[in-house]
Amino acid sequence: MTKKRCIAMLLAGGQGSRLGLLTKINAKPAVPFGGKYRIIDFPLSNCTNSHIDTVGVLTQYQPLELNRYIGNGAPWDLDMSNGGVFVLPPYMKAKSGEWYRGTANAIYQNISFIEQYDPEYVLILSGDHIYKMDYNRMLQAHIDKKADVTIAVRPVPMEVAPSFGIMNTDASDRIVEFEEKPKKPKSNLASMGVYIFTWKLLREYLIADEANPKSSNDFGKNIIPNMLGDGKVMMAYRFEDYWKDVGTIASLWEANMDLLKIPPEFDLTDDRWSIYARSPVMPPHFIGANATVEHSMLTEGCEIYGEVNDSVLFAGVTVEEGAIVEDSVIMPNTRIAAGAVVRRAIVAENCVISRDCIVGEAEGDIALIGQDTVLPQGYVVGAGKQIDNSVISGKEAE
Amino acid sequence: MYDVMGIVYTSKDNLNLRELTTNRAVAALPVAGRYRIIDFTLSNLVNSGVRNVGVIAQKNYHSLMDHLGSGKDWDLHTRNNGLFILPPFLTRENGGEYSGLIEALRANFDYLRRSRQPYVIVTNSDYVCNTSFEPMIEAHMKNGADITMMYIKVRPEHLEFSSSVTSNHTYLDVAGDGIVKDIEVNPNAANFRNLSMNVFIIKRTLLMHLVDQAASRGAKDFDSEILRPYIESQALKIMGFEFTGYFRRIETIKGYFKFNLDLLDADVRQELFATRPVYTKTRDDAPALYRTGASVKNSLVADGCVIEGSVENCVLFRGVHVGRGAKIKDCIVMQDSYVEDEVEMENVILDKEVTVRAHGRLIGQRQYPIVIGKNVTL
Repeated sequence: MTKKRCIAMLLAGGQGSRLGLLTKINAKPAVPFGGKYRIIDFPLSNCTNSHIDTVGVLTQYQPLELNRYIGNGAPWDLDMSNGGVFVLPPYMKAKSGEWYRGTANAIYQNISFIEQYDPEYVLILSGDHIYKMDYNRMLQAHIDKKADVTIAVRPVPMEVAPSFGIMNTDASDRIVEFEEKPKKPKSNLASMGVYIFTWKLLREYLIADEANPKSSNDFGKNIIPNMLGDGKVMMAYRFEDYWKDVGTIASLWEANMDLLKIPPEFDLTDDRWSIYARSPVMPPHFIGANATVEHSMLTEGCEIYGEVNDSVLFAGVTVEEGAIVEDSVIMPNTRIAAGAVVRRAIVAENCVISRDCIVGEAEGDIALIGQDTVLPQGYVVGAGKQIDNSVISGKEAE
Repeated sequence: MYDVMGIVYTSKDNLNLRELTTNRAVAALPVAGRYRIIDFTLSNLVNSGVRNVGVIAQKNYHSLMDHLGSGKDWDLHTRNNGLFILPPFLTRENGGEYSGLIEALRANFDYLRRSRQPYVIVTNSDYVCNTSFEPMIEAHMKNGADITMMYIKVRPEHLEFSSSVTSNHTYLDVAGDGIVKDIEVNPNAANFRNLSMNVFIIKRTLLMHLVDQAASRGAKDFDSEILRPYIESQALKIMGFEFTGYFRRIETIKGYFKFNLDLLDADVRQELFATRPVYTKTRDDAPALYRTGASVKNSLVADGCVIEGSVENCVLFRGVHVGRGAKIKDCIVMQDSYVEDEVEMENVILDKEVTVRAHGRLIGQRQYPIVIGKNVTL
């Protein structure tokens, strides 16, 4: 096996429970985003655009959809003879076998995978964020500063800082203190969940951490504080471009809406940094003679006969004549029947919103319809409600 | 169906397609917003279980090669078999252009000999339809035929749009039992109503034998110099297989224009795209963006488009920009063309990467649309 300078490990095993019904039967990195993408397309495209050609994807929770989507990695040019993308679920070893117990434990269990490539550096990524980042520049900074760890950070408004992992740095951007969700933050530099470690050192810490039965085997709670305590060189790498955590229904909706702004808050059209996705193999979308579509994003396979405003529609969505879709995100292959009105809502994949249904309201929280839901005719879903087939059948039983 | 291979014969440039084929083979002609004609041919083969496909290229095959690449997008990048682009074999006698299918096949005997499948489907790539060849293959085996040719019954509306073309048309007289009784090659006024689709299945060794025999006697035209004698003598069992779905051969600008606008009909889209997937090279454009003030009616729009103006009865390929206040109607706009603000266009075909500057006005006729060649700025 050829030696690699840097390989990436993408933590994709978490449930993402804050996304509610969206992650009931789907892992968070496989959640659709931005008309034709899934969240994982962003870190994977960043890797390939940064010339990092070996990526391990650690999966655990509801991995089937994610596995199918990643496939052989061809959409991201990660179908290589030497390197490529690898899905890494937990597996049985000679004496034991167990689930991934935490982020650090997940990497620990894959030390042998990493060692196959004998890397100098390991890039740790998470599958929860929408951003375009050149990891190679971050790696260069890590090498230039002779750092043991480099953590990507981003200035956030002071008032939201208490909800992030906050890095306190000195004048040279060396991290002097790390506080997980501090009540009184001393700085506004939030960790983006992107780490570069010098592998030899990380390996030592992972082994030591595993030996400590009291540890929760987590990067933020254990590995980072331990390294900091030992006086290792930990550098902050500032990233000022667009970055959005899409871990909640509201932030996922918002990030989709950001794509519609002029100028776009987040530009997907820049072909120097393309975001790749698996093609749904569908024809161009069709707009009917009586349809109106304004201030929206549409993709292949859509058939629009009704009214669509301020919305993001995914592949294969049908909006029948007389239906209205506003301020909404409609995921692949969903059908909005005639007379239905969808406002401020996220409708997941393969749903049918039958005639005269009303989903969401012009004001208030985002309504959510879970995957594969068939809403019966005339069904009303209020602002902030989450509905799927089991909710509907439960109601009918009452 | 791993015992059938495919040969796709890409025809020479067609003068009736004017500027559209000056720099590309007909097979590489962009259609339907995101495809090239050959996508339909290849998808039909792949959807029929064919895994070994040779594409015989002619003079202008650069854009064809660029499009096909390794065959990955059609799942034809396998270790055994896969996609083989067969470029013209340049010799003193051959300037990169074949005089016909016989010469093209003769030049690629090595590939035919190397292939393992006992049967070959030979097809042109100048038509659009979505089909599986499996029923034809089954019929061929069941009938114990030597050659089975696919044909369609020409409907009046089809004759209308191909009336300006008399060449490259072969008509068949097919008896009730499916035997081809007679054949007309490029008639001025055809007696038969069964238009050959230029798709046939044959045993690989028989094909090589027939081609070798004909080529060694200086024959050039497959239909008149191989098929016709055998149909007359009935020495080979040559059968017809009728195709009844949507089929358009793209041979004139008018036909090209009409086919693209046919796609605004939901039934045609259903038949061409919903039955079996049509694969093409992916381009990773972002989804299309509709700005405030955009008005789009009855149109097919591909990814990567940005629309600020008004669009009616159009097919917009990937990455097309329609500026503010622009009004375009009954137009085909190919990949990455830019229609600036306040432009007015009707019955126009813009090839790739054309820019129409602000306030420009282009009005063509339905019967004779304006065609603007690739890379032009107006």
